[in-house]
Amino acid sequence: MNIMAELAIIFGICLVSEGISALLPIALPASVISMLVLLALLLAGIVKPRHIDRVCRFLVANMAFFFVAPCAGIIEHVESLLACLLPFLCAAILTTPLVYAATAWSIQLMLRARRRKESHHA
Amino acid sequence: MLEAMLSSPFFGLGLTCAAWCVGVFLEKKTGFLLCNPMLIATIVVVAVLAVFQIPYADYLQGSSMLTLMLSPVTAVLALNVYNQRRLLGEYFLPVIVGCLVGTLTSVGSVLLLCKVMSVDSAMTSALLPKSVTTAIAIAISENLGGIPGVTAAAVVIAGVVGAIFAPAFAKLFHVTDPVAEGVAIGACSHALGTAKALEIGTLQGAMSSVSLCICGILTSILVVFF
Repeated sequence: MNIMAELAIIFGICLVSEGISALLPIALPASVISMLVLLALLLAGIVKPRHIDRVCRFLVANMAFFFVAPCAGIIEHVESLLACLLPFLCAAILTTPLVYAATAWSIQLMLRARRRKESHHA
Repeated sequence: MLEAMLSSPFFGLGLTCAAWCVGVFLEKKTGFLLCNPMLIATIVVVAVLAVFQIPYADYLQGSSMLTLMLSPVTAVLALNVYNQRRLLGEYFLPVIVGCLVGTLTSVGSVLLLCKVMSVDSAMTSALLPKSVTTAIAIAISENLGGIPGVTAAAVVIAGVVGAIFAPAFAKLFHVTDPVAEGVAIGACSHALGTAKALEIGTLQGAMSSVSLCICGILTSILVVFF
């Protein structure tokens, strides 16, 4: 598909999502809504993967590039960051293994229960 | 003349692209995980602005165009989920419950930490979405009145910690199931972790990319209630 047509689909979805975000009573980010809208369109078969393939591949492969600009915004907030450096580092580093363990254990428990049930039936 | 050049959007666009290339070059050259292109590029941009005392507003002229692309970048993650729909169907309930538990743990532990250390609300809002992928985290942080730069920094740190220590975490917490391992990596360290999960195994990588999408959605819904 024409690359401009692919872009038009993606930008169109983002535009509609901005509208939906403004209508929603909760503050769900428009970017998350655009992901859900695209997923719904894909599942419904209205948008096929080949319609957006090239743009998707480019954006996913270069995803981190688009984060540099917002990251650089930290220069405006160095003081407030330094003021609470300790809680910042604790939140960013210490909670990571905690999230890992909680997620992995809950899934392992459920999968084990399911397998036990299946072997019971068999 | 210099003033006209600096206030042109091409300054911000050019600087960001050049800084990115420096990051990619260093990553290729060293192969060191901390030489993450995003981290290096951010440091280069900040250094250039600080050393030459260029106002952030000048940089913003061009960089705001790139920030605009965060929405399309997030949208295309849907294709990841779509491509894994069969696998997701098979493990639907455990994956959703796992992501919910992970999201609750992440948001809850940050809230508790900020309360104990009496951190102000702008900083707390900036830290709340630290476990989800940058595009979603920044949108959540902005919505809550947090500082996007701080959010982005916290997200990168969480991602790098997860990406480096994911194999160690699996041993430490006795995680043997590949589905559990993949979802857990995606839940705690989003896209950076997913890159590592793909190295560990295809199933882990797939589950991690699904989990980073679901956790992003769950976090953005969950923080509304805080």
